[in-house]
Amino acid sequence: MNLLQTSLGRLPLFNPVTVASGTFGTEYGSFYDLNRLGAYVSKTITNDPKAGNPCPRLFETEAGLLNSIGLQNPGIDLFIKEHLPLLREKLSIPIIVSFSGSSVSEFRRMLIQLDNCVGISAYEVNISCPNVENEGIAFGVDAGIVSELVKTLRAETERELIIKLSPNVTDIASIAKSAEESGADSLALINTVFGMAIDPKTGKSRIKRGIAGYSGPAIKPIALANVYKVAQAVQIPILAMGGISTWQDALEFFYAGASAIAVGTASFYDPLAPIRCLEGLETYLKDTDIPLCDLIGSISF
Amino acid sequence: MAYDPIYRLCRIHSCTVLNESYSMLEIIDDEIAGRCEPGNFVEIKPYKAGSVLKRLFKPISIYKVESDSIFLMIKALGRGSKELTKLNEGDMVELIAPLGNSFPMPTGKSIALVSGGIGYPPLWFLKSRLNADIKVRWFHGGACEKDIFPCDEAWTIDGSAGTKGLVTQGLVEWLKDHPCDAIYSCGPEALLKALAALCDTHNIPLYVSMEAYMACGVGVCHGCTVPIGTKENWNYLRVCKDGPVFDARDIRWELI
Ligand SMILES: Cc1cc2nc3c(=O)[nH]c(=O)nc-3n(C[C@H](O)[C@H](O)[C@H](O)COP(=O)(O)OP(=O)(O)OC[C@H]3O[C@@H](n4cnc5c(N)ncnc54)[C@H](O)[C@@H]3O)c2cc1C
Ligand SMILES: Cc1cc2nc3c(=O)[nH]c(=O)nc-3n(C[C@H](O)[C@H](O)[C@H](O)COP(=O)(O)O)c2cc1C
Ligand code: FES
Repeated sequence: MNLLQTSLGRLPLFNPVTVASGTFGTEYGSFYDLNRLGAYVSKTITNDPKAGNPCPRLFETEAGLLNSIGLQNPGIDLFIKEHLPLLREKLSIPIIVSFSGSSVSEFRRMLIQLDNCVGISAYEVNISCPNVENEGIAFGVDAGIVSELVKTLRAETERELIIKLSPNVTDIASIAKSAEESGADSLALINTVFGMAIDPKTGKSRIKRGIAGYSGPAIKPIALANVYKVAQAVQIPILAMGGISTWQDALEFFYAGASAIAVGTASFYDPLAPIRCLEGLETYLKDTDIPLCDLIGSISF
Repeated sequence: MAYDPIYRLCRIHSCTVLNESYSMLEIIDDEIAGRCEPGNFVEIKPYKAGSVLKRLFKPISIYKVESDSIFLMIKALGRGSKELTKLNEGDMVELIAPLGNSFPMPTGKSIALVSGGIGYPPLWFLKSRLNADIKVRWFHGGACEKDIFPCDEAWTIDGSAGTKGLVTQGLVEWLKDHPCDAIYSCGPEALLKALAALCDTHNIPLYVSMEAYMACGVGVCHGCTVPIGTKENWNYLRVCKDGPVFDARDIRWELI
């Protein structure tokens, strides 16, 4: 029996360890077999190519990483023409394509275009990037717009629809609920937390654009609380991320109600982090002889 | 990139203190050493058994490769680089290497190397791999004496070693009566910018190794970019994967 078996709604996963959008690429295939992962998640693509934000885009703090990449990506056409075929060639695991738009109709057009491509198992709809003005975040903060967006996308695809949520909102549970009611198969959370750093010697912002997205160990408790809150509010599965670097971190998220996890920033600290996470979970579940699905949401007080 | 990078634990074979700010690390690994080309860099961080240090790797240029030994020259600046300069023989490090592209080999007969501070190491490696018949003039500058290492012409801001002034002054003088087919440089942004303008007026090809704050070091995060292309049509390319070496004419300096 595969103790690691899990699922995100209509998408079954051989194991629960995936990677966080924007923090991963096939480059890591130099270090291990990428097909050992539960699924591959692409960096968010937008309709038009995006240059991204000026540098510096990165700053490491005491316990995490600030980034302000600004969704730099080649745009959907080039992604479909060049990147997707490469992913298909290299990967036999489910490919989850993350995308973002600047209006409901743009999201819809993008989804239709992607739905015509073979080799995509799921969509991660990014309505939560803190580093761009028009895409994503504008949608993620309003339950009404989330509902309209998800209904529109649901009508166009039979594929797994994952909605990626931001922690930078007043009430994440209400946004999660409206995504669920509108037909989302599962939810991904959390995207990065608003953060900032300033050089005390000069008063200069460490990140050119000022406010950035914060990730890594520092945001794990925030992510955990959000996952727990959302798990209490909805029935659909949760793909959890935020500061996960070890299998023990992953277990915490399963207890809080996540069905699968994504390793993000941790890959920068340890290129083998997703694989170490997977191997640790495998050993733990074997030793205790408990299938992963029995752990999900089984937090006690 | 010619080769896939290798990620592995390596032992520090030797750590030599060069002066109060700089140390030199030696790592022996025949496979990595065989893959290194001038301009390549490594991502490195100290390793402690049983625990993953939740800090980023640090990008460090390859300074020298001699048979199976890889040498790194590190300046203690902040937390990460200080930790690296304090390593001892026998300590373990995590290494991802080699990374990035490499310098194009010169086609002409006479070149200049221009380095500033910690821009010195990659040029040493380049020099060691040049054909013997190529004439090289190396200008090196720093803030003070401890930034100065063997070269043809040294310049310091405070005058504590070499000539007092900016390294570019030396180059300008030399260019007056010496032919120069190409210039190779690595150093602070201000130096590279000034050189780019200088080479533009003299119409000399300039290859620069750029620095950038890095997270992944392998090309996935897009954190380390520089604007590359023409005035009308440029894009942010990754220093870690598309660079660190760029043709200075392709860099949109006005956007940096
Ligand atoms: C391709 C490349 C090759 C390099 N080669 C060498 C080398 O051979 N020897 C050497 O001593 N140094 C080299 N550096 C610079 C070295 O990586 C930084 O000095 C080091 O990362 C600083 O980290 P820190 O934690 O010590 O300092 P911090 O406390 O983080 O900062 C100190 C200063 O270094 C800058 N800095 C911080 N992190 C980075 C980073 N990841 N990349 C670049 N700059 C940063 C900061 O802006 C600040 O000005 C290289 C950098 C790059 C990108
Ligand atoms: C450099 C960087 C780039 C990111 N790019 C994206 C992106 O393109 N799309 C997205 O949905 N999330 C992006 N994220 C957010 C991550 O997917 C993840 O939600 C967040 O970093 C929290 O997880 P972590 O702490 O494990 O990194 C990015 C994060 C980082 C650090
Ligand atoms: S450091 Fe991540 S792309 Fe260069």
